[in-house]
Amino acid sequence: MIVVNYIAAMILFALGLYTVLTRRNILKIVMGMSLMEASGYLFLLSLAYRNGSTAPVLVTPPHGQSPARLADGNVADPVLQNFCLTAIVIGVAVTGVFLAVVVRIAQHYRTLDADRIRDMRG
Amino acid sequence: MSQPEPFEREPRHRLVRGLVLSGGVAAALIAAVLSLPRGNNPLPGIARRAMTVALPDWHTTEPVSEVVYGTRGFDTFGETFLLLAAVVGVGLITRAREPRRGFIGEQLAGRREQRRTDPAQVQGSTDQRQAEQAEAGESGRGRRPASPDNEPLGAPGLENAEAMTVVVRAAVRTVAPLLTMAGLYLVAWGYTPGGGFPGGAVALGVVMLTYVSLGYRRVEPWLRPGVIEPIELGGALAIVLIGALGLALSGSFSANFLPLAPAATIRSGGVMQAFSVVELVEVATGLVLAVFGLLGMGHDWEPRDSGTARTGRRAGGRSAGRGEHGERP
Amino acid sequence: MTAASLASLVPLPVAIPLAGAAVAPLAARLYRPALTVVSVLALLASAAVLVVIAPTVYGGHVLVEYLGKWGPVNGQVLGVTFGVDAWGLTFALVAASIGAVLLIFMVSDQATLGRREAGASACLFLLLDAALIGGALTADLFNLFVWFEVAALASYALTAFFLERPPALEAAFKVLVLTNVASFLIFIATALLYTRHGALNLGQLHDALVGHTDSADLIALGLLIAGFATKAGLVPFHGWLPDAHTVAPGPISALFSGLMVNFGIATIGRIVFSLYPGTGAQVLGLLMVLGLVSAVGGAIFALLQDDLKRLLAYDTISQMGVLAIGLATASPTGLAGTAYHLVNHALFKSLLFLCAGAIVHATGATNLSNMHGLARRMPWLVGAFTVGAAAIAGIPPLNGYVSLGLIHQALERGHQTVPYVLTLLAQAITVAALGKAVLAFFRRQRNPYARDERLRPGMRAALLLIAGACLTLGVAPEWVLNNLIEPASAALSDAPAYTHAVLSGGGQVDPHRISYHYLNPLELALLPATVVLAAPLIWLARRYRDSQAIRRVRSVQTGSVNDYASYLVVGLLVTVASTALVPLVR
Repeated sequence: MIVVNYIAAMILFALGLYTVLTRRNILKIVMGMSLMEASGYLFLLSLAYRNGSTAPVLVTPPHGQSPARLADGNVADPVLQNFCLTAIVIGVAVTGVFLAVVVRIAQHYRTLDADRIRDMRG
Repeated sequence: MSQPEPFEREPRHRLVRGLVLSGGVAAALIAAVLSLPRGNNPLPGIARRAMTVALPDWHTTEPVSEVVYGTRGFDTFGETFLLLAAVVGVGLITRAREPRRGFIGEQLAGRREQRRTDPAQVQGSTDQRQAEQAEAGESGRGRRPASPDNEPLGAPGLENAEAMTVVVRAAVRTVAPLLTMAGLYLVAWGYTPGGGFPGGAVALGVVMLTYVSLGYRRVEPWLRPGVIEPIELGGALAIVLIGALGLALSGSFSANFLPLAPAATIRSGGVMQAFSVVELVEVATGLVLAVFGLLGMGHDWEPRDSGTARTGRRAGGRSAGRGEHGERP
Repeated sequence: MTAASLASLVPLPVAIPLAGAAVAPLAARLYRPALTVVSVLALLASAAVLVVIAPTVYGGHVLVEYLGKWGPVNGQVLGVTFGVDAWGLTFALVAASIGAVLLIFMVSDQATLGRREAGASACLFLLLDAALIGGALTADLFNLFVWFEVAALASYALTAFFLERPPALEAAFKVLVLTNVASFLIFIATALLYTRHGALNLGQLHDALVGHTDSADLIALGLLIAGFATKAGLVPFHGWLPDAHTVAPGPISALFSGLMVNFGIATIGRIVFSLYPGTGAQVLGLLMVLGLVSAVGGAIFALLQDDLKRLLAYDTISQMGVLAIGLATASPTGLAGTAYHLVNHALFKSLLFLCAGAIVHATGATNLSNMHGLARRMPWLVGAFTVGAAAIAGIPPLNGYVSLGLIHQALERGHQTVPYVLTLLAQAITVAALGKAVLAFFRRQRNPYARDERLRPGMRAALLLIAGACLTLGVAPEWVLNNLIEPASAALSDAPAYTHAVLSGGGQVDPHRISYHYLNPLELALLPATVVLAAPLIWLARRYRDSQAIRRVRSVQTGSVNDYASYLVVGLLVTVASTALVPLVR
């Protein structure tokens, strides 16, 4: 049933995209981007999952197994979890820069309306 | 514009267009994910390899950390500089005005553009002055009550107090050292994937708790950009150095060159652990710089000719520290 | 040195500028000249390492380094791989060497600014350039994504550098939104490919895709192309590009346009030719359409601009279109033309943006209509600008003539008449747009400038170096083609050799010979033709600049970030449809 997670992640992604495409409030656009980011985490962790698997940790193996044998057992994919960590760091970094820019825009334009923040067109 | 005007409703054609386009993207992506394996496929060969090399080659019981800092450490190497780029970027965007010499054409263009964007701001509108007064009031030392402790019960809270009530202060005094220990434990022994990253986030939490509850004065002495920024940059340099030592001592960039201690001890993992500790420094200082940069963002970029008046000071680490360290004309 | 020990040096060109980025802000704070020394030396050292490995790589060798020695086991690579072939090395060399020159210009240009802001912008500059070098050298899909993100994050704050300009913040927001959407697309594509094939190494992925390519893989290809096309600024993914280039400081615009945008095209080439096997006609057709729309559309918009830097920005879109056309020919000549034009574009567009930035910096004027009479006030600057404009126009002793000639030749030999004609049309409009700018400098001055300062020595040196390189690459085409460009195009088109190399610790690519006639009569005849066509276009653009029709055309570029994101998504859907749906219909 993990496919439900995949689809949910993609729908979340599309919802975030919808926000970015339609909302005029730039803070809402930032929230839409965060939603897309979060859908990425859900997608990655769902991809890492295997039916009935345990976490990729070798410290307390289930009884009857040694840590060395656990490596061959049924565990979630550590490489994808690594990607998820990277994605989280990127998400934090991007959100920080986003918010700094939004505050500066509010100071200079006195509005958060994307339709009024278009000095440059044509 | 003293009050931000409410937005008009979104135009209908934009909603329809957004619906169609995001629906199309959803359809394409769902079509792609439907053909993916559904949790019944074996682990890919490289994930299996990551699991099997963790104990023998790294003496670590944590394969995710092993991938993050060890076998695919170069990705994390890049990620560190991604974080550095974000922190330096936030610092640049939230920076206070610095003295400049001579004529700078972009400033002239900026004044012209600002006039077009918001004419009121160039002259300094009432709105502008209010914001500046509010900022000046917040940073004014001595005029602010220390904490709401002496206020009668049931009175509305003091929003401009330096610190919170004794209850919160006592709680934070108890919790902060424990949290600090927990953060360090996560990096040193904690069997968490990521080591330095969650540890750094916990460190930020401690700083924020202290700042919010005990007031800016408590964090001010050590929250100076003049102190934290060199640590951050030094950490970045240390990460390059760890990689380069791998090249010099083991013949490949970011290879392990430290002896491997037994598993589940503080030094197991060799270069992984060193990397993780430096990452803790990077993440903690970086997040603190970014958060306090945002908090201390002043209002002083409007192009006025009397550029020396720095009214936009708030009780944030950045602008307070910069004021003392920055150059004077 | 042996190939193995050379290969172990390969991460250094990335690591050295990163170390420089960590030191630069501190150096700026301690002692101003130290900033110049540290930051420029970092890029020069990076370029020097690349030069050391260059003879081996251009000799046809692919240098491969498994970082941390996590090499292949049963053909599967867990660790990050760096695979240096001539295609990647060409881009990395350009990024490091031109980056160093741009940095000299920038530090000199910012001498009057505050120490902290100068230090921070040098730091971000180095981070961006290092990320571009890393992205060019890596042979790992996820690592490529990481470098893409590093470049993106460094670019945001650089766009907004002049905080007193409100449009700079507006541009930074647009860049943030569009680049982020692009990065999500690349990220999802990477996750899809990893889950389906369990591979991140480009060679391993290539082998897996040769065995079996189904619709999910093709959707991933569409996502990757859309993501990197956003970085490259191809129409309709281009919304961020004109705004960002308009307001960023001059050397930063040069870095964006000359190097960062090129990175998108170089990577699309890598993905389409080295990663996916047997590139189908639909992908090449897609690239051709994107290229033609960008080439013609960008040129038209450039002609309609009054803001000098915005004009150059739209011209960048047009040149990216030309590069995509070169890739779409998929012939050795066309790929060689693309590689050559990639280098040339980095040179002449940097030159033009440096001049434009210096003009803005010295006079405060941004619009061409306020720049009349500059030829007399700043003859050096206008001279350098004219050299750059002539290079783009493809006037013979300069470099643009050779690369455009190669791309034209490839189109002609492939009997692609319609693209050929449209490329020539775009070329004529480009000549008109740049001619308009140069002519404006020579008009009589109406209102005095606020100030015009002399160029600092560092700025003048940078302009001279780049203009000299434009000339050198134009007068010695045979040597450049034989020694640099032919290996690059061979490396790009020989996917099996690249795959074999990155999976077995090194390998060899056989060069192919390209016949090129410098004095091709057709090419020489086309030159006056484009100029003749350009003259009335300049007149028309001036005459009708306020007309309703032109205003309507320009209103396509609405300035709203929602609209730009919508254009991007439309482009994404078209891309995915043509990579994934068209093969199904067939």
